[in-house]
Amino acid sequence: MMPHTHLAVALMTAMAFLSCLRSESWEPCVQVVPNISYQCMELNLYKVPDNIPTSTKILDLSFNHLNHLGSHSFSRFPELLVLDLSRCEIQMIDDNAYQGLNHLATLILTGNPIQSLALRAFSGIPSLQKLVAVETNLASLEDFPIGHLKTLKELNVAHNLIHSFKVPKYFSNLPNLEYLDLSNNKIQNIYHGDLQVLHQMPLLNLSLDLSLNPLDFIEPGAFKEIKLNKLTMRSNFNSIDAMKTCIQGLAGLKINRLVLGEFKNERNLESFDKSVMEGLCNLTIEQFRIANIREFPEDVTDSFNCLANVSMISLLSLYLDNLEAIPEDFRWQHLELVNCKFKRFPTLKLNSLKKFVFIHNTGMSTFVETELPNLQFLALKGNDLSFKGCCSHTDFGTTKLKYLDLSFNGIITMNSNFMGLEQLEHLDLQHSALKQANDFSIFLSLRNLHYLDISYTQTRIVFHGIFHGLVSLQTLKMAGNSFQNNLLPDIFTEVTNLTVLDLSKCQLERVSQRAFDPLTKLQVLNMSHNKLLSLDVLPYEPLRSLQILDCSFNRIVASKEQELQHLPRSLAFLNLTQNDFACVCEHQHFLQWLKDQRQLLVEAEQMVCTQPLDMQDMPVLSFRNATCQISKMTISVSVLTVLLVSVAGVLVYKFYFHLMLLAGCKKYGKGENTYDAFVIYSSQDEDWVRNELVKNLEEGVPPFQLCLHYRDFIPGVAIAANIIQEGFHKSRKVIVVVSQHFIQSRWCIFEYEIAQTWQFLSSRAGIIFIVLQKLEKSLLRQQVELYRLLSRNTYLEWEDTVLGRHIFWRRLRKALLEGKAWSPEGTADAESSQHEATTST
Amino acid sequence: MKGFAAAFLVWALVSPQGGGETWPAHTACRDGNLEVLYQSCDPLQDFGFSADQCSKQLKPNLNIRFGIVLREDIEELFLDVALFAKGSSILKFSYPVCEVDLPKFSFCGRKKGEQIYYAGPVNNPGFEIPVGEYQVLLELYNRDHSTVACANATVTCS
Repeated sequence: MMPHTHLAVALMTAMAFLSCLRSESWEPCVQVVPNISYQCMELNLYKVPDNIPTSTKILDLSFNHLNHLGSHSFSRFPELLVLDLSRCEIQMIDDNAYQGLNHLATLILTGNPIQSLALRAFSGIPSLQKLVAVETNLASLEDFPIGHLKTLKELNVAHNLIHSFKVPKYFSNLPNLEYLDLSNNKIQNIYHGDLQVLHQMPLLNLSLDLSLNPLDFIEPGAFKEIKLNKLTMRSNFNSIDAMKTCIQGLAGLKINRLVLGEFKNERNLESFDKSVMEGLCNLTIEQFRIANIREFPEDVTDSFNCLANVSMISLLSLYLDNLEAIPEDFRWQHLELVNCKFKRFPTLKLNSLKKFVFIHNTGMSTFVETELPNLQFLALKGNDLSFKGCCSHTDFGTTKLKYLDLSFNGIITMNSNFMGLEQLEHLDLQHSALKQANDFSIFLSLRNLHYLDISYTQTRIVFHGIFHGLVSLQTLKMAGNSFQNNLLPDIFTEVTNLTVLDLSKCQLERVSQRAFDPLTKLQVLNMSHNKLLSLDVLPYEPLRSLQILDCSFNRIVASKEQELQHLPRSLAFLNLTQNDFACVCEHQHFLQWLKDQRQLLVEAEQMVCTQPLDMQDMPVLSFRNATCQISKMTISVSVLTVLLVSVAGVLVYKFYFHLMLLAGCKKYGKGENTYDAFVIYSSQDEDWVRNELVKNLEEGVPPFQLCLHYRDFIPGVAIAANIIQEGFHKSRKVIVVVSQHFIQSRWCIFEYEIAQTWQFLSSRAGIIFIVLQKLEKSLLRQQVELYRLLSRNTYLEWEDTVLGRHIFWRRLRKALLEGKAWSPEGTADAESSQHEATTST
Repeated sequence: MKGFAAAFLVWALVSPQGGGETWPAHTACRDGNLEVLYQSCDPLQDFGFSADQCSKQLKPNLNIRFGIVLREDIEELFLDVALFAKGSSILKFSYPVCEVDLPKFSFCGRKKGEQIYYAGPVNNPGFEIPVGEYQVLLELYNRDHSTVACANATVTCS
C-alpha cells in the first residue's frame, strides 16, 4: 500500500507544479487592429507582454496580475494613445511608470487596490486628457499627483474613499478640466474654503458629479460667485433637512445645468416638500432637471416658483398631477416630461414653450387639446395615448410646429389634413394605429414636410392619393404596412423630391410598372422583407439617382435577362441576400450577370441557392455556367446524331438498290440469261405492262431487262418456240401478271403451264405472281393449279395508291434481284453465254 | 489507490484552464413551494444574485441583490428576458436599463473593472406564479452588444 501512496503524492506534486507553470499563460493577445490595437484582457499576465508591436496605440491589459508597475513599464510602446489597466491588482505604481508615453490620451486604472502611488507616478505623459481612477482606494484628491497634467480634460475618481471636497491648489494648473466625477465617495461637508481655487482660477466649463455622496452640509456662500457648467447631485441626501441645507448652501452659484433627485434604487428621502425648492431662488440656473423623487409636492406652482426663469426644465420619473396649474408667464422654453405618471394628459398653457418632450409617460388614455402658441417641437412618443381626431392647429394651439412625433401610441384617427400646420417639417407616426388614412389625402397641407414615418401603423393603402401634397418630402418610411392586392400602385406622383424610401415588410408581391417614375431623386430604396418573386428591373429604371437598393429577404428566384441592363447606372449597392435563387441552367444568364456585378452586390457570399435540391445552401456565385454548356453540347450532339442517322436511314432506304449495285462491285451481270424476267400476261393487260411494269423496271434502278412478247419475240418463229426459246430459256425469272383476262386467255394459261414445267425441269424457284385485280374465286377454281399456288405462295398484289405502288415496286425489285449473279466473272460468263445463245439462235 | 491516481491525472489534464468551464448552479431563493436556481451563462464570469421575497404570489417591485465585477462599461445597458416552459418560448422582451441621458439606476455609467452591488427593486408586476417548471434566460448587454451578465434560471413552483 505504501508505494501506491508515494506514487499518488508524487503525481499530485507534479500536477501542482504543472498547473503552477500553466498559470503564467503564453496565450497571445487578440489583435483587434493589426499593429494598432491589442486586447490582452484576462490572460493571466504577470508582466507587460513583450510580444506586442511597438507601434501599438490601444492596449487593453485589464483583468491581469500586474501587481506592481515599475518605472518605464510601457516605454516599449511610445505610440500609445489608450492604456487600459482595469482590475490588474496593481498595488504600487513607481515613479515614471508611464514615462515616454508622449501621446497617451487615456489612462484607465479602474478597480486597482492602489496602496502606494509615487509622487512622480504620472510623469512623462504630457498629453493625457482622460484619467479614470475609479475604485482605486483613493482617499484624497490633495495627494493625487496629477498637478502637472495640464492637458487633462476628464478626471474620474468615482467610487473611492474621498472625504473632502477641497479642490486642490493644483487645479489652477488644469485649465482644460471639463469633467470631474466625484460620485460615490464619502464627502459629507463642503466648506467655503474648499472652493477657494475656483474663485482664483474659474473653470467655467466644469461639469461636476457629486451623486451618491452622503452630503450633510454645504456652508452658505461656498459656491458664491462660482460658475459651473453642470452640477449633478443625485441620491446625496438622507433627509429632507440635509437636502434643504445643502441647496441653500449652493446660493450664489451660476450654473448652466443643475441635476437633482435620486436613483430608482437609492431612494433615501422619506418626503419632499416645496421648501426644498425654495433654496433654488438664490441660484442662477439655465437648465434644471429633477428625477425619481418619490413624493413630489402637488402644489407645482410653488415648487417651481424659483425656476420660473429657467429656459429648460426636465422632470423624470415623478408623480405629477397638477401641471396645468403652471402659470402662463413662466419662461420655460423647453419642457421634458419623461417616465412620469399622470392621471390625465396635462393641458398646459405656456406662451413661452417652444419644445415639449412628453415621452414614456403612463396613466393617461386620451390626448387633450393644448394651447401652446409658440410650440415648434412636440414629441409625444410612447404614451399609449389615443387621438380622437388628428391633426390640425387647434389640437396643439400652435401654427408654428415644425417637429411632431406621435409614435408608439394607441389609435390615431385621421380626420383633418394638418390644417394650420403647414410649417411641419418632421412627422413621425410609427407604431401607432392610423385610422381613416385612406379616406382623403391626409398630408395634403404638409408642403414643407421633409420627413415622414408611418411604419407599422397598420395602414392598408387603397387610396392612391394618400401622399398628395408632400412636395418637399425627402424621407418616407412606411415599413410594415400593406397594399391592396399586394401591388405597389402609382402613389408617389407628387413626392418628386424623395431621396429615401423604405417599403420593407409590406407583403409586396408586385410593383406597378410606373410606380417609381416620379422618383428621379431617390437614392435609397428598401424593398426587403417583401414577397417579390422576381427581380423586375423595369420599374427601377426611372430612378436615375438610386444608389442603394435592398431587395433582401424576398422570394426572388431570378430575373429576366433582357431587363437587367435597365438597372440604374448610379446604383452602388444592391442587396439580394436571403432570396430563393434557382441555380439552374434556365437562369444561367441571370446568374452570370450576378457574377459580373459582384462589386455591386452586398454580402455576395451570403447569397445561396434554394433550388435545385443538390445546390441548396450553395453560394449563388459558385454556380458554373460550364455545367450548362456541357449539357447543351450533349443535347446538340445527340440531336445531330439522330438527325444524321435518320437521314442516312432514309437515304439507304431510298437508294437501297443503288447501294446494292455499289456493293455488288459496281456492276451486276445478267448471269447466263439475257433477260431478268419473262413476263406472262394477257394482251388485255398490255397497257399496265407497258406503262407501269416496263417503265418502272427497265428505266428504274437497277435496270432490269424484261422479255416481252411484243418486243423480244423473234418474228417468223412459232409462238410456242418463241415462248420457250426467248421467254423461258433466256430469262431468270418469270413474272405472271394474273388477272381476269389472264385466266380466260388460253395462251396465257399455256405459257403459265410451260413456265411451271420449266420451273420443275430447271429446278429454279423463279415464278413471281402479280395479281392485278381481285379474282373471282369460281373463275380461279377453273385453274386448279394456279388456285393452289396462289393460296399457298406469296404473291404481289397491285394497289393503285402512292404507298401501295411504292411497296409493290420495292418488293418486286427485291424478288427480281434474288439469285442474280453479282460477280464480274459472272458478268463475263453471262456475256459469253449471251453471245453463245445469240450465235446458237 | 491506483484508480484514484489515474482519475486525478485524467482530471488534471482534461480540466480546462480559464474559459470554457460551466459555472455552478446557485440558489437565488428557496421557500416551501418555490425554488429559483440560476447559473451564469457568461463564459467569462459567475455572479451573485438573490431575491428578498420568495413566494408563489410574486409581489410588484421585488427587491433583489446583485453583485458583479463589470467586464464592460455600462453607460448604456439593456436586458433581454426570455421565458420558456417545457422547451417552448412563452415570453420574450427587451428592456432598457440604462440610457445615456436618463440614468435611472445608481449603477448606470459604471466602468469596466468596477465592482457593483445592486440592492433594490425590480420593475416587475405582481402576479401568481402558476405551478410548473420554467426556464428564464436573462442577458444584460451594453451598447456594443457585449455581454455584461447572462443567467439561465430555473423556477420550480409546486
